[in-house]
Amino acid sequence: MPEVAEPEQLPVPQARAGEPAAWDALFRRYQLPLYVYVFELIRDEQAGLDIVQETFIAAARHIGGLREDNKFGSWLFGIAHQKCVQRWRKRKEILFDEIPETPDEFEDGPDDLLIRREQETEFMNLLNQLPLPQRSVLLLHFVEEFSLEEIARITETQLGTVKSRLHYAKKSLRKLLEVKNENAA
Amino acid sequence: MKTPRDILFARHQAAMPKLDVIRQSTVAAVCDRRISTDCAHERRSQTAATTQNRLTSLVTSLLCCSNKLWLELIWPCRRTWTGLAAVWILLFIVSFSQRDNVSGVTGTSARSDGAVMSLQIQQRWMNELLADRSSPPEADRPRIFLPRPRTETTETVTV
Repeated sequence: MPEVAEPEQLPVPQARAGEPAAWDALFRRYQLPLYVYVFELIRDEQAGLDIVQETFIAAARHIGGLREDNKFGSWLFGIAHQKCVQRWRKRKEILFDEIPETPDEFEDGPDDLLIRREQETEFMNLLNQLPLPQRSVLLLHFVEEFSLEEIARITETQLGTVKSRLHYAKKSLRKLLEVKNENAA
Repeated sequence: MKTPRDILFARHQAAMPKLDVIRQSTVAAVCDRRISTDCAHERRSQTAATTQNRLTSLVTSLLCCSNKLWLELIWPCRRTWTGLAAVWILLFIVSFSQRDNVSGVTGTSARSDGAVMSLQIQQRWMNELLADRSSPPEADRPRIFLPRPRTETTETVTV
């Protein structure tokens, strides 16, 4: 899978200097992707909004800890992911499942999954059926097209684990979509 | 055909107004914190400047006051003040020298013969007075038997 770098120039240095306009631009850029990611994991609108706000506040507070400015997106998603994990721990949900490692030959590109308009609702339903770790990896892959290394950093897991999760998530999603298509035909 | 990203984003577009509110409030909070930090810094510097200004003005006023006192009260009658100061100094010197003499006398504890004599006389008087007071009263004192003629003796007969 080719790594996708962040193409746009984010005003991270200005935000670090405390410029409100820079923070506004950064939050505007990431508010929807962040909310989509959090909501699809938590499945609770209010909790999702709360986590987005907490993430923004934490980012503003700890921007000094960010070493590389071009990693701002993955850093922000990492904060949000940690907040989701904390919420899961409070609800005592099972976070990790055992998935065998898969070879690199199963890696897929980010745009290999295209969905027809009539399949959109089914896609969302299928996405929600996936286990949390697979859903998390798949959402990060879909929403921001993060690289495997970045996803591994965000979710604080091994690179091999991320690969296997993404592979199994896509495989099961595709299979479910095919089954639906066959049933429809 | 849509990508999963498009589907996900389209699905959550309704949350955008709420996210805008969150963004604005967070930016305002960040801005407020910066402004409050700036204000606090400015306030601290202003306070320091005010304190320094007060100290400077106090010292200046004290100097001005003392200068005025010197010019108006002391300098015109400088001879009088000098004379008074000399008299006071003289008095202090005399006083200190006398104190030194008294302390020297008491320190050697030399007593003259006259003083010893007077002290002895005083002590004797004191002893006599104390002896008189310490003697028992007339009623309790034992009577000394002196032989007298019968006519001169009086007896009380009780029936």
